Amino acid sequence: MLWQQVVNGLTLGSTYALIALGYTLIFGVLNIVNMAHGEIFMFGAFVALMLVTTFKVNLLVAMAGAALAGAVLGYLLEVTALRPLRKRAVSHMAPLISTIGVSIFLESLALNLFGAQSQSFPPMFSGKLLDFGLFQISVIQVVILAISVGLMLVLKFWLDRTKMGKSIRATSENIDTAAILGVNTQRVITITVMLASGLGAVAGVLVGLAFNAVEPTMGIPMGFKGLAVLILGGLGNITGAMVGGLLLGIAEVFSVAYGASSYREAVAFGLIMVLLFLRPQGLFGSPGNGGR
Amino acid sequence: MDSLLNPYYLQIVMFVMINAMLGISIYLTLATGQLSLGNAGFMSVGAYTSALLTLKVGVPIFLAVPAGGIAACLLAAVIGVPTTRMQGLYLAIATLGFGEVVRVVALNLKVTNGALGLSGIPSMSVMTGKGLSELGLGSGVGILSAQQLSNIIVIVVLALMLACLVFFALRLSKSRMGRAFAAIKADEQAAEVSGINTTYYKLVAFFMGAFVAGLAGALAAHITFYIGPQDFSYHKAVEILLFAVLGGSNVVWGPLLGSFILTLLPEVLRPVAEFREMIYGAILVIMMTFRPEGLLKEGTIRFLWAKFNWRAKAEDDNSQPEPEGGR
Repeated sequence: MLWQQVVNGLTLGSTYALIALGYTLIFGVLNIVNMAHGEIFMFGAFVALMLVTTFKVNLLVAMAGAALAGAVLGYLLEVTALRPLRKRAVSHMAPLISTIGVSIFLESLALNLFGAQSQSFPPMFSGKLLDFGLFQISVIQVVILAISVGLMLVLKFWLDRTKMGKSIRATSENIDTAAILGVNTQRVITITVMLASGLGAVAGVLVGLAFNAVEPTMGIPMGFKGLAVLILGGLGNITGAMVGGLLLGIAEVFSVAYGASSYREAVAFGLIMVLLFLRPQGLFGSPGNGGR
Repeated sequence: MDSLLNPYYLQIVMFVMINAMLGISIYLTLATGQLSLGNAGFMSVGAYTSALLTLKVGVPIFLAVPAGGIAACLLAAVIGVPTTRMQGLYLAIATLGFGEVVRVVALNLKVTNGALGLSGIPSMSVMTGKGLSELGLGSGVGILSAQQLSNIIVIVVLALMLACLVFFALRLSKSRMGRAFAAIKADEQAAEVSGINTTYYKLVAFFMGAFVAGLAGALAAHITFYIGPQDFSYHKAVEILLFAVLGGSNVVWGPLLGSFILTLLPEVLRPVAEFREMIYGAILVIMMTFRPEGLLKEGTIRFLWAKFNWRAKAEDDNSQPEPEGGR
């Protein structure tokens, strides 16, 4: 029972981690919270759903399509809502507000395009559970775990080892210094926003598969969870986002299994409140990051 | 006369007042440069507190409404104390989360009647109507029916409360505390170095915003007879934010103008109601790009004063001279 819950929690948590990575990457480079991330995530789920149901492509192709659509949305977000604000000196709240604008715009657009009702992916895998003795796991859970963990590892490797990854890390360390040292920060920012949005879109597909429901309003609660993980792991901390996502998934699954199932949506922010009292810089942030 | 005073228009006027109060609530927090996205949450705390006090305990409305504000204020302490010490971003996210937690709690508690919400909340206009008929005015006065009269009395009461809040906010911006708020908004570190206790002032601003939001929520509950968890969702929080963003958050008049426009706009835009949120979203992005300080800013106000000089002069005769060198 216990192990079963841990496995369920990890599956759920790995999707949260993927969402939170999108927030973290953008926060790292731009020092802003992208409130439209949840809606890009939702659009990703819808694009994959359309690809699977209308064009009958297989899931991996659909996921790639969703990632591409997410990246395009990310590019549009950067061009319309973020870049114009960087050109002039505005308060640090301005990007937060303009991305909130994009978020409600996209949500309403999805409501008009796809309708309010919840849709689901056609059954693609047998509902059979693989039995490992201590726990059972469904094929779909394996797919979700494999894809999200795989993407996280690739991302980590890419950030650590490649030149582009190094530029991104340099830019998040200090944007001015990076620019002086010859990093094309404008390009780095655009690529980071696109990458984060693409990851978010894939996470949308995975969550759509996990809950077997895709609806226009799914962006807001999931976006909130990503935000919770962002604070949980420490702002801009990539490892923190990964571990924080898994922790939140486990905490939620346990809260459902042992009692407070209807309060599931509140668990994430309950955790944050406790954390803000005890360790405001986040679980993995160094002291000072949480300050101003 | 009758067509002008129909209950629908009167109700819209009441909502304009309530939204104007919400505009002031977000202005008070934004005056220190902090973004609170929890005003919908505070509103719902105020609304539920006041509604439950009147429904279950039988507290009179005029006591229950301030109690709603105080309850919102108490909950603000739970979020405010840990977050105001940190970057403004933490407050924005924590208040956003707070709104969500309040919604989930209201959805699940028995006493709040879950997703069905509370109905049959004692309404202010009905109470006034009863009071009127006790005074022997049950059949109305002159051309006004009793219902119109009681609605108008409620509007006058709301207008007086709003006027008090506006007066308070205007006085505040000229006071020592208001100057401290402005200093923190301009540069928090510089303010701290100049000996301003930034955490204290940020917390006070946050509490005041929460109190006013709770008050407005409580009043809204006693106007509409019904409240449910979905009335105070993320979208309500965004709408309140929009008041300040559109109207301008540097002067008290900004959020008032914003709330006025945005309460009347949906009534005008009925034919395209399904695109309302898209229009709101576009307004947020466009305002941030082209005029981040909102429609009204200090310069605009000064310009308008100069333009209507005769009015400024008349005001000057009545009001006290401004202290020199304040700004």
